[in-house]
Amino acid sequence: LSGPGVEFVVDSEGRYEASQHWITRRTGALMSHLQGNNVRLLLSSVKQEEEVIYYTKLHGISVVECLSEEEIALIQEITGVSPYTPFGDNAYGEISETAAATFCQPLLLGSKRYVHVGFTSVCAFQPHCLILCAPVDGVNEQHAAALEGAFTMLQQLFKTVDQREECKAEAAQKQLVIENISCNQVSECGAHRDETETQIIDPGLQGSENPAYVQTYLGTPSNPISHIKEFSIHFSGDVQKPRAECEHLGNVHENDRSDARAANPKKDSAAVLAARNSSSVTACEHLDAGKDLEKTSCDIVPFKHEDSCVSIAQNCSSSLIEAGSVLPVGGYFEILLHYYIRYYAKQLQQSEVTVVSNVVADALLSIPKSLYRTTEQNSFTKFYLKVINALQKNQPLPMNERGLELVYCKYQLVISVLHCVTELLSIDLILGVKRPLQKNEDCDSEDDF
Amino acid sequence: MSRLEAKKPPLFISEPLAEDVVGQSLSLLSGILKSCYGPTGRLKQLHNGVGGYVCTTSQSSALLGRLSVSQPVVRVLTASVQNHVSRFSDCGLFTAILCCSLVENFKSLNIAPCTVIKISRHLLSLCLDYLKSEACGCRVSVDFSSVETLLGLVRSVLSSKPACMLHKREVDHLAVLILKAFMFTVPCHGETNAALGKCIIVPMKRRRVMNSMVLPGLLIETPEIQWAKPLTVRRTHSDVIKIALFCASMAGDCLFPEEGTVTVHHGISLEMAELNQLLNVGKQLVNDEVGLVVCQKVIHPALKQYLKENRVMTVDRAGLSLMEPLSQMTGSKPIASIHALSPSCYGTLKDVRIESFASKHFVHLIPNDTVVCSLILCNRNETAWDELKRACETAEHVLQLIVKEPLALLGGGCTETHLASYIRHKTCYLPPSSFKGMGCSRTQYQLVADGFCRSLESVASSLNHDDGEVLTDMVYGHCWFVPSGFPSVHNWTDLVSKCGCGINGNAENLSWRLLQGQFGCATLQGCPKEPSVKTADRLTLDSFVAKCSGLQVALETANLILDLSYVVEDQN
Repeated sequence: LSGPGVEFVVDSEGRYEASQHWITRRTGALMSHLQGNNVRLLLSSVKQEEEVIYYTKLHGISVVECLSEEEIALIQEITGVSPYTPFGDNAYGEISETAAATFCQPLLLGSKRYVHVGFTSVCAFQPHCLILCAPVDGVNEQHAAALEGAFTMLQQLFKTVDQREECKAEAAQKQLVIENISCNQVSECGAHRDETETQIIDPGLQGSENPAYVQTYLGTPSNPISHIKEFSIHFSGDVQKPRAECEHLGNVHENDRSDARAANPKKDSAAVLAARNSSSVTACEHLDAGKDLEKTSCDIVPFKHEDSCVSIAQNCSSSLIEAGSVLPVGGYFEILLHYYIRYYAKQLQQSEVTVVSNVVADALLSIPKSLYRTTEQNSFTKFYLKVINALQKNQPLPMNERGLELVYCKYQLVISVLHCVTELLSIDLILGVKRPLQKNEDCDSEDDF
Repeated sequence: MSRLEAKKPPLFISEPLAEDVVGQSLSLLSGILKSCYGPTGRLKQLHNGVGGYVCTTSQSSALLGRLSVSQPVVRVLTASVQNHVSRFSDCGLFTAILCCSLVENFKSLNIAPCTVIKISRHLLSLCLDYLKSEACGCRVSVDFSSVETLLGLVRSVLSSKPACMLHKREVDHLAVLILKAFMFTVPCHGETNAALGKCIIVPMKRRRVMNSMVLPGLLIETPEIQWAKPLTVRRTHSDVIKIALFCASMAGDCLFPEEGTVTVHHGISLEMAELNQLLNVGKQLVNDEVGLVVCQKVIHPALKQYLKENRVMTVDRAGLSLMEPLSQMTGSKPIASIHALSPSCYGTLKDVRIESFASKHFVHLIPNDTVVCSLILCNRNETAWDELKRACETAEHVLQLIVKEPLALLGGGCTETHLASYIRHKTCYLPPSSFKGMGCSRTQYQLVADGFCRSLESVASSLNHDDGEVLTDMVYGHCWFVPSGFPSVHNWTDLVSKCGCGINGNAENLSWRLLQGQFGCATLQGCPKEPSVKTADRLTLDSFVAKCSGLQVALETANLILDLSYVVEDQN
């Protein structure tokens, strides 16, 4: 009879009766209007009154009630229809906000009842459902969370990491020449490269915007040390050409950006060249979006030595990580990274960098160790020795068919972990407070000063 | 004002299964459930020390739902079994006992959990393949043209619930009633969207069980005074009774909205206005030749009087639970508002009668097409009645499952022992390639298979509560119970007459071994055979779907529990 903020005045019994009749008749008329427009299904986010349900049954319309907001939003997105509000005079006009469904039926899953509706989608997304079963609810929730993680990972499949992105990450003052600006423009032209030359970015020539240069540690004890290396595996070429690998090692000095010192390109290039000169390089497969995802084969391509030091300055790789780069699961990424960090550390003269590199390298091994924990006793050691052996002898890596993981995701993971470690190591005091901390928006606090 | 306490940090337990506390809880639960299992099971009384309702039961649905478990590991088990029971209603105790037993047996093996899990999954697939194959020796197909197997199923369900206190004649009587009620709910005409009807259980406590009966149609309880005898109900010219079903309140109370305000001027009575409208509705009903008005809520006495004077019968306070079956049965649409009367929402009935049982009076509505029926269930006291109601609902659900999958498994422990001997036989002959695929050795596989078989056999032997021996024969793999009181002889043939399910007699020359004995014996298990006579009287049968699902749930939950390496518990 009344609504929020509305006052309904009864001044005669006849009017009261008439009002109630009017409500009923209007509901009925609305339903027959809907039926006349061939509406067979109503989806409602609230619980409808019994009268409404009665009239819908009378007119052969099915009703689904108590839809959540997310479901309404999803349906809006799929069908492009916004909610229908039959108020005012347009109640008997054309109903424009309707969508078509190909079927609608009740569905019994386990011991719960659902409504199964087949919407015709107006966008590119075809609606479909995935039903997960498990003995206990908690296991189902975990499976659902794992699936969501898998979808997030798949969305990263086509992401690339350009060199320039890393350049833009930090702002610093030094203005060394960046030849790679031009290189980066080249990198935009797509993921495929037909060159067989390897291209290496010399980190030292990146310029000060690039965090990837070596800082000579000047020995200030108060500076916490965090050398973070960037490591990327670059793939070029397609399956037919011999695969080449580009290895990029750089250092990032996270903390003292204000104290940016001059890079020492020579030293770094020496290191890089040294790594480059190692004749065993493992290339991994470039996953093309259109190609067969199952192929995992590994070739070793020795570095081409055509590039001279000069060309280092001019050449650059198209991107650090190309779209769709994958590695087999089971600890390969970690062991490879571990191997190259160790190798790099051996080339350096500075003891602090070496120490930190070794710590990082050993920490990386904890992942494959825990992966092999549940199998037989010394399978991790065997695996580790096999891989290291193969790397040292330029042999193909032992492969398995168990699955693939994205290099991009692993790369982000390593970067995040190193950032986090840096932040933790920079904390020198933890202060405990009694009151819960407030966010910035709460300006008025009733605390007593 | 509640006291603010410092929050306790979460409790972190690693390797929970290695703890003694968990092992003790598991064995306690296992002991409780094992002692409830089967027709000779012992009852459990669930007692709230403060007072109130007391529940005496042996059924898993009642027990697990009311027990409060504090151990997280045991809670996983009970939640899993409760999920299974909510879907299948039957074989809850079987699942729970098998799961506890699997966890205990697998834990005591000195093999890494991941290997155990792989092997047990392989064993489960062997079991399920065997059970689903045509050559399965413990499977009985249900023939819908004869009632024997269906009655056997219902009898097995009823007699395995000792808290109902039924003796043999009562079990037979009730089994026939339940089957009859189920038949009523099966639609007569094969339509495309045929659905089973509903069987409403009408309580009648403190009566003898043999007084139970099944009636087609619905019974609505009513006080006695109103009805003139003999009852004459208005019929339409086509000799059916028109019924109007109201789900709105007809008491004339004004519904005031929650939001907004209603202002009434002086001198206006909303109640009179409502009453006028009610009487208009009454006039409309009389004009439409309605013979019976049923209202979910209350009908205003003035309206009742008016309708009575015009020979229209009224039943009010019917309740929400009856609305759906009533509308299904009569084809009427429940009217949601007194202003919304329309002729298309009336339904039809064949007859209306007054019945009285004990001291209760009912209006009996008989439809043209019996798709809803009422089972008047009597039992001596309240707790026995509750248990019987659960048992009847389980039996009805089992019958519904049979419609989907017309198979049954032999009961009385015989399926479990048969499966165990099949697995023992199969694991002797597995090719080495299957071990390689699982990454385990033959010894490990056989140890796990032995643990699995022993768990199955322990479920079968927990049917025995009376101190006798439990045997299994070497030919068919069925389960035989020896009564207590005899010294352990090796000549078992004198003491056993029938196997657990009743299909095998002692006529042939069979050899037995103790079920829980030690296995030093080098005799290889031959493949267990199918019983020669498949149709015998009074077989004990179990629901195929429920038992297979129970086996699967038990094994998966056991794997889940074995795989737990950490428990983090929030103690707030």
